Amino acid sequence: MLVKNSKILIVAGLVAGILSSCGSDPNDTGTEFAPNMYHSVAYEPMSQTEGDTNTINPHGMNMRLPVKGTVARNKFSGPDSLKKALLDQDLISRGIPHDSISYSEAALKNPLEATPENIEAGKVQYERFCQHCHGETGKGDGLAGKAYKGVPVYSSDALKTMNDGHIYHVITNGKGRMWPHGSQVSPQNRWKIVLYVHELQKQ
Amino acid sequence: MFNRKITLVTFLFSLALLFSSNVVFAQDAAEGETLFKNNCAACHNTSDEVLVGPGLKGISERRPIDWIIKWVHNPQAVIGSGDKYANDLYTKFNKAAMTPYPNFSDDQIKGIVAYIDAANAAPAAPAAGAAPAEGAAAAPAQSSGGMMEGLLVGLLLIMVLVLVALLSIVNTLSKLASGEAQDETPLAKRIQDNIKAMAANSAIKTGVIVLILLFGGKATIDAAYGVGIHQGYAPEQPIKFSHKLHAGQYQINCNYCHTGVYSGKGANVPSANICMNCHNAIKRESPEIQKIYRAIEKDEPIQWVRVHNLPDLAYFNHSQHTNVGGLECKNCHGDIDKMEVVEQRSSLTMGWCIDCHRETDVNSKGNAYYDKLVELHNKDSKTPLKVQNIGGLECSKCHY
Repeated sequence: MLVKNSKILIVAGLVAGILSSCGSDPNDTGTEFAPNMYHSVAYEPMSQTEGDTNTINPHGMNMRLPVKGTVARNKFSGPDSLKKALLDQDLISRGIPHDSISYSEAALKNPLEATPENIEAGKVQYERFCQHCHGETGKGDGLAGKAYKGVPVYSSDALKTMNDGHIYHVITNGKGRMWPHGSQVSPQNRWKIVLYVHELQKQ
Repeated sequence: MFNRKITLVTFLFSLALLFSSNVVFAQDAAEGETLFKNNCAACHNTSDEVLVGPGLKGISERRPIDWIIKWVHNPQAVIGSGDKYANDLYTKFNKAAMTPYPNFSDDQIKGIVAYIDAANAAPAAPAAGAAPAEGAAAAPAQSSGGMMEGLLVGLLLIMVLVLVALLSIVNTLSKLASGEAQDETPLAKRIQDNIKAMAANSAIKTGVIVLILLFGGKATIDAAYGVGIHQGYAPEQPIKFSHKLHAGQYQINCNYCHTGVYSGKGANVPSANICMNCHNAIKRESPEIQKIYRAIEKDEPIQWVRVHNLPDLAYFNHSQHTNVGGLECKNCHGDIDKMEVVEQRSSLTMGWCIDCHRETDVNSKGNAYYDKLVELHNKDSKTPLKVQNIGGLECSKCHY
């Protein structure tokens, strides 16, 4: 009888052994067949793999900072007249010092019209870049905003009359506790957000 | 008599005055509450707790009402006038200026102050609710990755134990039934004998060899299929950033940090300035956050470890899938908002790409580019336009 017993024990041991050997190291990518096909020989952005570290740029980075004093010519979309208006506003805004919000209020005007489509597009951008702090309806009650503290209400007496230039300036350069978001949101998307914030000011 | 009359009149008059002023007070406080919540609550507590600006408990005793009105109308002017209290306050709060509210009437400001006093007179109840809720949300944090495996092994052990117990019962019973005498040989000897008997038994030998071949074969095939597939790769990062906390608990949109995901080939790993949008104030003391500060001070990039790497021989563009195709990030990356450490969930094999291209309808709504194609396709097909119909299976779409 014990013969059968041991046989089962051996099988069980084998199964357990194989199961436990399945867990792999999360830090290991596993075997790669022909690794030179996986890792680009040409320098790719956002990749830095061992062995072919970039020797040209500082810190082995594959991307470089733009040359100081140069301005990126943004790819605006839409009809030519809109593209020109967007570029004009972009260039004006770049000339305004970060702490001179009153200049922006006076000089900048939203090149986008407040059509339902544009406002809807603004809402999409607002949800991506603003909502977690400013809240769904701009009451400053976003989940991250509650932790960050000091997020104002758009419809408050001090803010409900703020114009295009003011909102654009705040997104681009920040204000008070809010830090600049110009590196994250493209100028065209900033103007879309301005349209939607105007809607929230009325709420 | 006359005197008494006067006293009565005065008493009644003062009573009326008191009553009416009470009513006015209540109204003011009610209006003050709305004004406070809309305009002040972002930076000030009604208690003495500092939020962004000072807590306002006892403000009516601390400062004369005229000063408060002047301050609310134009804080910079009060600071500029050389007022000592204002300047001390300004320095204490790191020279962060308060937003001026020049349009508030004197009565409105008095109403706000009345509300602050009323809120402090009432038994303190608000502001306590937030803390336990946060604690509760943070509690279930352990990942369930290794749990499944542990459970399986545990089950297996239990099954083996049950088997052994059952077999020993059967053994004893059969012995009792056959009326055999108790075996006197020691246990070690008995096991040795049994192993010898087993090794001699050809049926068992064949069985064991077949089993080893089966398991070995399966392991080999699995390993061969796993070559070049990084599924399950979850490398340790230089900073213990939790997507579960940021994308899950705080619901920060993926695009906020991965700025290129709707507009470029790569999704982009955020630079430190994006971390600083929140972490200039939040969790400054955490050793993990300190690593960001050090990187900024030294002007060095944070060397994140790349998790998803498509072979160089295949072209992939994020914007084509997210912006044009309208796919959710989760579609390929899995439940990122539940991951403490990011792991590659999908296999990223060609078969996996092709499967999706076969099944997915083209997101042609509101995209004039596809109008003619959809029209042509619908002429001789009843199924909706799939990605494979517009060249989603062509070699040169991804390999060139």
